[in-house]
Amino acid sequence: MSQISATEGPMLQQIDLTKLNLQQLTQLKQQLDQELGVFQDSLQTLKIAQNKFQESGTSLEKLTPSAKGKEILVPLTGSMYVTGKLADTETVIVDIGTGYYAQKDIQGAKDYFKRRVNYVTEQMEKIQQIGLEKSKIREAIMDVMEMKIQGQMSTQKELAETA
Amino acid sequence: MVDEIQKKLQAELDKFKIVQKDYHKALLQRQQLDGQLNENTAVKQELDLLKSGNEVFKLIGPVLVKQDLEEAKQNVVKRMEYISAELKRTEDLIANLDKKQDTHREALAKLQQSFQQAQLKAAMKA
Repeated sequence: MSQISATEGPMLQQIDLTKLNLQQLTQLKQQLDQELGVFQDSLQTLKIAQNKFQESGTSLEKLTPSAKGKEILVPLTGSMYVTGKLADTETVIVDIGTGYYAQKDIQGAKDYFKRRVNYVTEQMEKIQQIGLEKSKIREAIMDVMEMKIQGQMSTQKELAETA
Repeated sequence: MVDEIQKKLQAELDKFKIVQKDYHKALLQRQQLDGQLNENTAVKQELDLLKSGNEVFKLIGPVLVKQDLEEAKQNVVKRMEYISAELKRTEDLIANLDKKQDTHREALAKLQQSFQQAQLKAAMKA
């Protein structure tokens, strides 16, 4: 459960789409639409997370030993800053989640952000893969639906002609 | 006759809706727990990567408090155990509610059928 898996579980049984009636097909399509929506949202959230990690990673590039003692502006609120001096350019403290912060050297922190970006990108790829599969199924359902509707129309026509 | 069945149908529908609500609540809870477990697993991995020289802090309110690395690791493991247990409990609950939903759904379908039949009969008589 902890990871998003691209392989389908064994409990998923195969369903012959052509055996379903229109109502069931519509229901199935709605369900798939909903799932696709969730995937879209997840992708967006992951994209934001990816950007945040990337930004943190690149801002570390600026923190070189030669920057030691340089003046910086420290934000006290969103619109107020005070000047400060960089006292320590060797280590940073990184939020590693659930309220824990770890002190890391620059290289370690860079590696950390790289790891995070890679992890997020991996999850995004997985979701994209599943999304692609689902939209394929959705298309198949649409095709079958169209077939059924056309079949119904032609039988109705026949009935009208014989009447 | 029709009124009676309609009453029963309404009662069954209400029950079904309550179960459905609980089901959604449980699903949401599982999602939340799953997310928490994921986050804690990631933190554990990061803590395992740290060397004993690295300092670890915990955010308590607005303050960063220095923590012992070993202690932090143990804490996270304990929390993961707790969350896993909760996750298991929630999953059992979901399976349970799923079954309940199915039985209610069946009962509803039956009642609906008899309701329609009764309505038809009433219409024939009239």
